[in-house]
Amino acid sequence: MTISESQVGPISEGGMFGKPVPRIDGRLKVTGAACYPSDTPMEDTAHAYLVTSAIARGKIKAFHLEDAKAVDGVLDILTWENMKGKVRSVRFFAGGGYASSTIMPMSSSKIWHAGQIIAVVIAESFEAAREAAYKVGVDYAVNKPKAGFDESRPQPRPMTNPLTRSDPATGDAEKAFAAAPVKIEAYYSTPTQHHNAIELFSTTCVWSGDQLTIYEPSQYVHGLKNGVARQLGIKPDKVRIISPFVGGGFGGKAALTARTAFIALAAQRLNRPVKLVATRKQAYTVSNFRAETQHLIKLGAESNGQLTSLSHEGWEVSSRPDEYKVAGTETTAVLYACPNIATRVNVIHADRSTPGFMRSPAEVPYIFAIESAMDELAVALHMDPVELRRINDTQINPITDAPYSSRALMTCYDTAAKAFGWASRNPVPGSMTDGDWLIGWGCATSCYPTNVAPAEAKVTLAPNGSVRVQSAGHDIGTGAYTALAITAAEFLGVPLERVSVELGDSTLPPAPVAGGSNATASICNAVADACKELRHRLVTAAVASNGPMHGLDRDMITFSDGQLRAPDGQSETLMAASARLGFGPIEAHAKYMPEIASKTIKLVGNAMLGKGLPIMASGTSAGDHIQYAFGAEFVEVRVHRRTREIRAPRIVGAFAAGRIISPTTARSQLMGGLIWGISAALHEATEMDHRFARYVNDDLAEYMVPVNADIQDVEVIFVPEDDTKVNALGIKGLGELGNVGTNAAVANAVYHATGQRIRDLPIRLENLL
Amino acid sequence: MDASSPLKSSPPENLRDRCQTLDLVLQVNGRSRRVVADPRVTLLDALRENLGLTGSKKGCDHGQCGACTVHVDGRRVLSCLTFAAAAEGKHITTIEGLAPQEGDLHPMQQAFMDHDAFQCGYCTPGQIMSAVACVTEGHAETDADIREYMSGNLCRCAAYPNIVDAIKQAKPLMRERDA
Ligand code: FES
Ligand code: FES
Repeated sequence: MTISESQVGPISEGGMFGKPVPRIDGRLKVTGAACYPSDTPMEDTAHAYLVTSAIARGKIKAFHLEDAKAVDGVLDILTWENMKGKVRSVRFFAGGGYASSTIMPMSSSKIWHAGQIIAVVIAESFEAAREAAYKVGVDYAVNKPKAGFDESRPQPRPMTNPLTRSDPATGDAEKAFAAAPVKIEAYYSTPTQHHNAIELFSTTCVWSGDQLTIYEPSQYVHGLKNGVARQLGIKPDKVRIISPFVGGGFGGKAALTARTAFIALAAQRLNRPVKLVATRKQAYTVSNFRAETQHLIKLGAESNGQLTSLSHEGWEVSSRPDEYKVAGTETTAVLYACPNIATRVNVIHADRSTPGFMRSPAEVPYIFAIESAMDELAVALHMDPVELRRINDTQINPITDAPYSSRALMTCYDTAAKAFGWASRNPVPGSMTDGDWLIGWGCATSCYPTNVAPAEAKVTLAPNGSVRVQSAGHDIGTGAYTALAITAAEFLGVPLERVSVELGDSTLPPAPVAGGSNATASICNAVADACKELRHRLVTAAVASNGPMHGLDRDMITFSDGQLRAPDGQSETLMAASARLGFGPIEAHAKYMPEIASKTIKLVGNAMLGKGLPIMASGTSAGDHIQYAFGAEFVEVRVHRRTREIRAPRIVGAFAAGRIISPTTARSQLMGGLIWGISAALHEATEMDHRFARYVNDDLAEYMVPVNADIQDVEVIFVPEDDTKVNALGIKGLGELGNVGTNAAVANAVYHATGQRIRDLPIRLENLL
Repeated sequence: MDASSPLKSSPPENLRDRCQTLDLVLQVNGRSRRVVADPRVTLLDALRENLGLTGSKKGCDHGQCGACTVHVDGRRVLSCLTFAAAAEGKHITTIEGLAPQEGDLHPMQQAFMDHDAFQCGYCTPGQIMSAVACVTEGHAETDADIREYMSGNLCRCAAYPNIVDAIKQAKPLMRERDA
């Protein structure tokens, strides 16, 4: 499908914003030349292989390494016995530090979770390292582990006490619920999930004197650099991270994992490069994951559909030492107009690795619960689910009364409903059929906060008129290379082919984590600022010169097609204008600070960014307003009358996400998100053997993700939106917007097809027998 | 190696000194290439680690994802499930050999670019090698066929609909070219 320009809003001055162009890194990717970290050619590399714990809780009593050492080509074996005290602890990412977990494998004999790294074997070849790793013998002292939730339906606890809890709340939800003429009360749950990016978790470390270079796919190179430096007790400027391409991140490559420091130490001990490519099985425990969640939702409404009471209690699983939670009630509490709201989030600790971000961390599980309940409410009210959203739509945060900077939810609904053909839906479950197939149509709201972070970028204009953009941002498939090139081309008026972009290297100016959908907004604004500074310098010199711009008003001069242009038609080339500033390249280094940043972030944001700490201004509390991107998603499912096979042949999503810089890549992001959503609703779950707290389907054959044959028509529609409160360029991030509403839209469609309300994901045919 | 290392010996000069190795000649992208490696080396690791052809990717090493797809004697093969030794004497084509380094891309590569049939790009070399084979096998006649015969290649970024569009664009161009 091609995207017409009118679909994403008005064309910008430079003619580049909103123009569908091919990805600028496309050629590298289709020829195999894109260099992902594990592709880097290296001389004399030794290969590492991880040994991971077979038990979930207990202790290592003894290692038996003789057989492993006897394997030809084995060079070194790391265990807690020789690694103890070698790696310093760093703070937890979610608590403002670097590490994806505070669990420190190989710092002692203690086992916190199954799959914990307990040894690293290094050998001349991958094959020898693997053979030796299999031969590492371990005696464990085993304790009985706790695998996760004890009960399928946890007991509700007293809700918000404003004095002791910070959970969003207003009014008296309990009383209003008791008095409501129409009520919904139900539990919902979402399963454990893993990112399963196709690229594996790899790390290659090379020392040159006291300088350490790490090739590792990363969504946050500055975080990784500073975190590893601190772990190893060396200066951050002695560590360089190189990660120009990342083969999928989805949150799994955002924070520092334990493996990196061990590979760095191994490379130091052997004084040669050491390369680790953890196996697919190990990918389930060497980084983070999405923990399973439970939800109790209570909705009370008037008979006209107006909500009078909304309560949302969530339960999440975390590891023993880390209090990680996504706490999506921040969003579900502000989604609809309602005078009485109560929320609470509970964390259950278990013998598991620490969970973390996975695409749309807070919103995906919590929106599934609330948007399923909204559909149940529509059914109870005999009301169209779109109309129920309309009646309860709000332009303000119902708790604080702070306005949304913009909220085009109902425009998204109306646009998507029309494209989908929703008007012809018969609301009676099971009423729409095609031969042996029961057809179900469902819809749900999608939304994601518009987060923006401090970011730096350097833009260089070379004497030959080419432009170089440099920032330690990341393109994890999101299209960052392309969006940043478009931004520079837009402001400097140069053809896109003249712009090159460098990302994914910690020696570049610091940029935030590629997470929370902040990166395009944050870094594009930094690039724009740098370009504006270059323009200012060029124009100032041009009007002061004897050239064609002599004496003109600076603001009247525009940049396009490689020219500076005056309103009277006079022009001069960018090259001529830049020559006036000297012979060499001219460069500008911008430090962008989000307009919505709090006083604290304004004060310390740049310094924290430089240290690779997580720093972001959240869309959930952007000063005097809140800022979110919205979407509406409509799904058709088909359930076979006899076999109960479920297919999802058609999905339409309409999204309002501010200014769309790069429609080609934005569309792919949203399309991928919608398919992620279908996947979460119908395919994905990491299954647990509760007796041993071990995963049982930890590979790509048994962890279900959609294949090409599972997906048919996916339509993405952009709803034009102009909102410069969110940031100067009016960008709302959308990488995590696409898959937020899909779970509920699919479940609601399954209900419509079958009359069966499935509240526990994923929905499989055995749930519909 | 420091004193606390469990192994006290010094690192060997190279692989051959300490390990049993195999000496192979592989025909890759029209050239004869010598590989000295562990006898257990897979074709994928031989390409990536020994020959520097890192276009073929490792996503699972177990035949479950398709990222390592290459052509052996014109047929698509999972290189992670193929011993390098078993590919000796056969014609191996990798993503690097699909089109000359400079100049025009293979119609399938161009079509993947035109349709944005990837995001992170990690599955892409495997998808393209499969897509080319899908057309030459005659399995690209209908959308449903394409989807079915491309289902051995996972794309976690989920570019599937764009991959189908790309194959539909490339198919007539490939036929024209080969005619
Ligand atoms: S790496 Fe060969 S199929 Fe996955
Ligand atoms: S493009 Fe990322 S896995 Fe396919």
